[in-house]
Amino acid sequence: MKFDQPKYLPGGDHFILVQFGDDASIDLNFMALGLTAALKEDATKGVVDTNPSYNSLIVEYESDDISYADLKIELARLISGLGSVEDLELESRLAYLPAMYLDPWTRDCVADYSEKIAPRDYDPDFVAEVNGFEDAKQLARIHSGTEHWVVAVCSTPGLPLMRALDPRCAITSPKYNPPRTWTTLGAIGVGGLSSSIYTTPGPGGYNLIGRTPVPLWDPQQRLPVFKDRVVLLDAADRVKFVPIGEEEFEYIEARVADGSYEFNITAYQRFSVGAYKKWVASLNQDGRF
Amino acid sequence: MALNIDVIKAGLETSVQDFPGRYGFWEQGFPPSGPFDMWSFRLANILVGNAPEAAGLECQFMGPTLKFSDDCVIAFTGAEMNATLDGETFPMWESVAVAAGQTLACGFASVGARAYLAVSGGIEVPQVLGARATFHMAGVGGLEGHALKDGQSIAVNGGAGVPGRKVKQDCRPKIANGKQWQIEVVQGPNDDWIAEEGIERFLESEWKLQARSNRTGYRLEGPEWIFADKASSKGPEHGEHPSNILDHGYPVGSINLCGQTPIILVNDAPSAGGFINPFTVPSAAFWKLAQSKPNDIYRFNRVSVEEAQEMRRGIDGLCVEDSIE
Repeated sequence: MKFDQPKYLPGGDHFILVQFGDDASIDLNFMALGLTAALKEDATKGVVDTNPSYNSLIVEYESDDISYADLKIELARLISGLGSVEDLELESRLAYLPAMYLDPWTRDCVADYSEKIAPRDYDPDFVAEVNGFEDAKQLARIHSGTEHWVVAVCSTPGLPLMRALDPRCAITSPKYNPPRTWTTLGAIGVGGLSSSIYTTPGPGGYNLIGRTPVPLWDPQQRLPVFKDRVVLLDAADRVKFVPIGEEEFEYIEARVADGSYEFNITAYQRFSVGAYKKWVASLNQDGRF
Repeated sequence: MALNIDVIKAGLETSVQDFPGRYGFWEQGFPPSGPFDMWSFRLANILVGNAPEAAGLECQFMGPTLKFSDDCVIAFTGAEMNATLDGETFPMWESVAVAAGQTLACGFASVGARAYLAVSGGIEVPQVLGARATFHMAGVGGLEGHALKDGQSIAVNGGAGVPGRKVKQDCRPKIANGKQWQIEVVQGPNDDWIAEEGIERFLESEWKLQARSNRTGYRLEGPEWIFADKASSKGPEHGEHPSNILDHGYPVGSINLCGQTPIILVNDAPSAGGFINPFTVPSAAFWKLAQSKPNDIYRFNRVSVEEAQEMRRGIDGLCVEDSIE
């Protein structure tokens, strides 16, 4: 539910949490990202960082430059300037990321978990079953059939938290309990309402359905796309997965290794929330790819 | 000749850090990193005459053994690690001239947990997102992305320092071995998920620091939490356990309730996740976390946002040239 007025909650001496509502309605994330853009545009004195999520935004501030009370006033001013959610237009690049679905490496992760922690089925079969899909192949078709909205880049460097923009491609699935102790770098996972891509090899709780051969961040800034940035994606960007086979996976992996890989990221569109909602309303939402 | 420091023994976890760390990249998933006890760290830089942003070393629990290739001025602050320079006792909280070829050897921390070493000129490692601080979980910053290893060599920028400067006694953090700490907390952001008696219980109880604690999180052991009705009557998108919430951003310092285990999210913490944060430890209390050891006991003392900010200003006011005698 969207709150009538956003809630402002303190996080110690230099953070404030702005909550727009208490559920996973995508409008609440649009509001959080609208406020992020407005803070950057406004260059509000004392604001040093933002950290959006499903229905909220963390703002980090420097209390020598702005008091907590004044920050709340500034945030309320910027939020009222956003207008209604349908009025929002957000900068949004579209990144085409190669994805090998039902790949051997994530199969190894599941096997490793089954051996060390608890036996479990192959993740794509499990996710297909809980979502009522025919099989894992349909899961791959559906997952690659939509643009995925980057709700936030969070948790570990460059890790995108994404949700399907096309409601016909929504996938939900429970997370691992207990979590995995090891996940392959580049693994594509689904959990809750979200998809993500593992940017560090490590623990994780999402069901693994594929793997991308391309890096989502690079502290050495080696590939051309990282010339002016360390992470590939920003919140409010969109990701479209392009299914590839093993041969192409290896080809791209080699081009990443030798530094010649060219990312396909377009930046000529803005995302209109109003137009998006109109399109969603026009769909037969029971349709499946 | 450029100064190098040879790492003879790396110590338990010695890392390159700078102040204030990798600040302002929370939205890309980068934690601030930086020195855990920024009070002691800043005073070490001031002692040797460095700029505030100069990189130094954070030494955890047991410090390193280092050999200096050339003359320089160094200062050691924070935890007492019984350091020696070529076998002679090395004074803490004081700038000291070191001659080429001398070796500084540290032992276990006998008082406090983290010591800070500043070298005149500052440690030279490449900057990542404007900082030299090490975030070793992700292999970012510092010396090749990680804590020091035996046999490595650390480059230092050229810079003159003045030996014989001391930090005034009353300008240093009061690091003690009492094993009991009063830690300030600000209530929120998710205190409404805890019942009123749960809030009182948190503030009235003793919390023991668990051994499984590091620069990512400080795990605490204590009584059961009492959740508000809201924590169980929420929508399914929030998750099953009362401590689960739909993923949201975490303030640095927040006390992240993971099931029944509170984990204080510190310098290298994840920026977001699906657990509630009923309280937040403000930056002015971080030096106490940094200087405590596993099995130490915390009691939490609630302060307002404004009081926490005033305390931080108080510490900033001591990290200045006036604190030197």
